[in-house]
Amino acid sequence: MHTDFLVDVFEESADNDALVWNDLQFSYQWLLDELRVWQAKLHDEVPQGAVVAIEADFSPKSIALLLALIDHSCVVVPLTSSVEEQKPEFRKIAEIETTVAIDAEDRVSIHQTGINATHELYKKLRALGHPGLVLFSSGSTGKSKAAVHDFAPMLDKFKVRRHTMRTITFLLFDHIGGVNTLLYNLSNGGCVITVTDRRPDTVARAIQDYQAQLLPTSPTFLNLLLLSGVQNKYDLSSLELVTYGTEVMPESTLNRFRDAFPDVRMLQTYGLSEVGILRSKSRESGSLWVKVGGEGFETRIVDGMLEIKARSAMLGYLNAPSPFTEDGWFITGDAVEVDGEYIKILGRKSELINVGGEKVYPAEVESILQLMDGVEDVSVSGEAHPIAGQIVSAKVKLAHDESLGDFRKRMRAFCRDKLHRYKVPQKVVLVSETMHGERFKKMRR
Amino acid sequence: MRDNIVALIVEAARELGDQDEIELPVELTADTRLFGEDGILDSMALVSLIVAVEQMIEEQLGFAVSLADDKALSQKSSPYQTIGTLADYAAAQQGASH
Repeated sequence: MHTDFLVDVFEESADNDALVWNDLQFSYQWLLDELRVWQAKLHDEVPQGAVVAIEADFSPKSIALLLALIDHSCVVVPLTSSVEEQKPEFRKIAEIETTVAIDAEDRVSIHQTGINATHELYKKLRALGHPGLVLFSSGSTGKSKAAVHDFAPMLDKFKVRRHTMRTITFLLFDHIGGVNTLLYNLSNGGCVITVTDRRPDTVARAIQDYQAQLLPTSPTFLNLLLLSGVQNKYDLSSLELVTYGTEVMPESTLNRFRDAFPDVRMLQTYGLSEVGILRSKSRESGSLWVKVGGEGFETRIVDGMLEIKARSAMLGYLNAPSPFTEDGWFITGDAVEVDGEYIKILGRKSELINVGGEKVYPAEVESILQLMDGVEDVSVSGEAHPIAGQIVSAKVKLAHDESLGDFRKRMRAFCRDKLHRYKVPQKVVLVSETMHGERFKKMRR
Repeated sequence: MRDNIVALIVEAARELGDQDEIELPVELTADTRLFGEDGILDSMALVSLIVAVEQMIEEQLGFAVSLADDKALSQKSSPYQTIGTLADYAAAQQGASH
């Protein structure tokens, strides 16, 4: 069975906490019992190798089900509440055969969609008898790409036992970083502490109440944590290590965090849904220079951009051509500076907007604003912001006269039920010229 | 000038409250806590408020301010504590530019 090595760990750690959820603690014994329950239920209700959506956030049952589905050689498609708007599209792209929905009270319902998944990549996994994982990632054109992973080599990485710490889960399991945090902890008998939201206050309280030692997060969050002053309200002395990734770390944030938390070690992480999470080592705790790689990964720099070759790379996209070079390298699109073995990540070459670690595609916002009365043309781009990293900025050409204040009010009301709040432009500029070039290609800058 | 800025911040906060369905106190004053302990805004709302207030000051009061630069973030006492501290921070910038 694919999770036998995890079961061994669970048995050894039976009395330890596996998970903290909604202020309740769940032991490895509990997880083991729950895993057995779902293994039996899946055996009766879900065909082996089925493509199964888990529509849930991290919860005791969603974790037990994830493991049971892996054992059942299913292809798991985690869909969390953060992609609510895109769920219908994602279900269709992934050809979901079975849906497992888990509500806020951790109640589970399973239903069959009547669809047969026939994608070539699924056939490949079924022929091998391997479980799979589908993660939706960003595409530079604004269309989400579905990366299909073979779960078997991904799990292999976790068979080497390592040191574990009580860890806050900042990312969910529809993100490669969230999957990585979860599997790392489970394979080492560690404890995962879930949070209901990502406000500094909530996270700080969870660190204090459950003695968290590791906080994997983003530079934006660290900035907000410092600004909110929660370090003066809560006892955060259990914290030993903060890891940060998903966006470029501003040097000033790093420095201010180190002043406030001199005893906490800082480590930069690097990973992509296409290739997984690399092992990384910051040159020093306060340095933005980092060495990435580790077993199963090779790296090289071509034209100032990082390229990665990974043993546990995805098989391919469900809805886009393979992005790998002929000899298997993945072009990350991240521009880097090099100093010996170390690199410094400068940023994405593409136009993706990153608002506090949340990704926004200009085309998606543009297409909503375009639906408003009187909007003739619109162009959305990211603008640097010291607090959120970037904000969404919209240039709008209106057909009639309207004050900026009135338009902004109208835009917010219009977007309320159509866009996630972090996607609604924080900045609006009214312009009188059109925003496309001679070849009618939108110019975003 | 400070009173005008306080009024703009209150207006911007009301607008945001409507949009994001944030429950705001019935009365918003210079003493209303914005961000941090007992603050009415979460981080995303704080960013939106700052950008809106910057734009409103420029349009309606006729001077440019920057309310979220490295200088603002490294103040000993955060300018985002209350509506009043944010207004003070903005008003000081007008003073400095004249």
